[in-house]
Amino acid sequence: MKTISQLFAYSVLIFIALVMLGPFLWLISTSLKGTEEIFSWPPVFIPKHWQFENYATVWNAVPFGRYFVNSIIIALGTVTLTVFTSALAAYPLARLSFPGRSLIFTAIISTLIIPQEVIVIPLYTLVLKLGLADTLIGVMLPFSTSAFSIYLLRQAYLTVPRELEEAAMIDGASTFRIWWSVALPLIKPSVAALVVLTFISSWGDFLWPLIVLRSPEHYTLQVGLSMMVQSLAANYKLVAAGAVVSVIPVIVVFLFTQKYFVSGILMGSGK
Amino acid sequence: MIVRPTKFPASESKNLIAFFFLLPALAALTLFSFCPMAYIFLLGMQRYNPVQGGTFIGFQNYLNLFRDTNFWWTLLNSIIYIAVTPVLIILSLCVAMIIREKIKGRKIFRTIYFLPVVTPIVITGIAWRWLLNEDVGLLNFLIVKSGISAHSVHWLTQYPVNLISVMGVTIWRGIGYYMVIFLAGLMGIPKELEEASIIDGASWFQRTLHITVPLLKPSITLVFIISSISAIKVFTEIYIILPGAPIQNKTLVAYMYQTAFEHFDLGYASALGVVLFLFTLVFSYMNMKLLERGSAP
Repeated sequence: MKTISQLFAYSVLIFIALVMLGPFLWLISTSLKGTEEIFSWPPVFIPKHWQFENYATVWNAVPFGRYFVNSIIIALGTVTLTVFTSALAAYPLARLSFPGRSLIFTAIISTLIIPQEVIVIPLYTLVLKLGLADTLIGVMLPFSTSAFSIYLLRQAYLTVPRELEEAAMIDGASTFRIWWSVALPLIKPSVAALVVLTFISSWGDFLWPLIVLRSPEHYTLQVGLSMMVQSLAANYKLVAAGAVVSVIPVIVVFLFTQKYFVSGILMGSGK
Repeated sequence: MIVRPTKFPASESKNLIAFFFLLPALAALTLFSFCPMAYIFLLGMQRYNPVQGGTFIGFQNYLNLFRDTNFWWTLLNSIIYIAVTPVLIILSLCVAMIIREKIKGRKIFRTIYFLPVVTPIVITGIAWRWLLNEDVGLLNFLIVKSGISAHSVHWLTQYPVNLISVMGVTIWRGIGYYMVIFLAGLMGIPKELEEASIIDGASWFQRTLHITVPLLKPSITLVFIISSISAIKVFTEIYIILPGAPIQNKTLVAYMYQTAFEHFDLGYASALGVVLFLFTLVFSYMNMKLLERGSAP
């Protein structure tokens, strides 16, 4: 009985794994095909001669290196800004008592009801007025903090044993000093989770960079790829090669930081 | 566990310090969340174009919405899109229940199911667009070859099939994410309850329906809210997978994007944004309440 149900569980799990991996494998296979194989019927699963030159061609046809660098700058910049603003703001919300604390916290949490998609148009006019249209800073700046990240780090500070901070206070350390050398080091796992979540979401972000960036030399990988799909529509092997290259960083980051990614999702959902 | 915020003795300088800690985040939230949110109502009452600027026209944009068939179609499609939520709840709950059993290699399966979640939608969208290609796509090949259908399906060009195709991609992408939330919820269920029901002779199905699912209600509510909000906001999948489809086959955000950045009518697009906001408000409000409950002392 037990083995039958195990067998059933395995076959279901393997089937789902194939469905999940299928599109990735197909992308890799397409990126290595020759032109005839792309349009052949029945479809070719494993190309006869692996055309690695597709990768070189796409790298030369499109300023791919440029896109790559832009994506890295935007993702790392967004991560740095978010961690800086949230690690600071979350601390007094968890630890200091000052007038209006719960009001400020409620105001911050209330921005959760404003989806990014709703305000892209007024944000765009703002970025235009600030003279930041078509710049990487214009892409980063509106995402330099979020209610979610402040909430996440506030929850983390609340779990730090307060005796440690009180001891430092008796020793005469300033609030800033206590924050920097006692509280912040103790919430490192939550900061790590925030870093990973922010990096992956910034790397994959599409609508906002699509709106802000106009000139190809400022495109992120996602925007560049979406333009490639339109201009090289028939040349699918090249698009596929480009997609494979730009997915690699995300998968590497994810495989090494999976633990933090999962814990970040759960902390954010109030678990 | 509930942890109460520490009470330090308050003083003038302490208040000032708290203010400096909060300053960068509050400045950013004011500039990039509160102000745009207020400004969208003003923009919605203008005929606004980035070059010529705006003219105040009152509620004309909203009156125009009522007569705009594109608006009604895209609103309808966005409502239809919410149907991904029940499917996602059922599928990811099933996957979570299978994967939590003591199975060798469960970590590998979990990682694989999570890959679509972390991969940028542009990339998975490109892959699916090619898989769904009506002439040479793999999916049509498999369907015709296995005899499920006599001829190829118009995955991308026939409404509402094309909308449902994109919904399928959203489901494919979401399973891993919601599975994680359910796995955490399942870990919170006391083993004794389920074991007792096994001793009482309850079948797996009875146990799931009467014990596991009711105890998972908080996780199910959470997944319902998150998934519905992301369904209403969907844009990238539509943009990448259905570039050639008429706007009547797409969703509200796609229409807003087209109005603002292809027709450069920012005022009308803002009115669409206000409708989108009201639409998501119901779900986001529930989400906020849920978070507040999680943090309340």
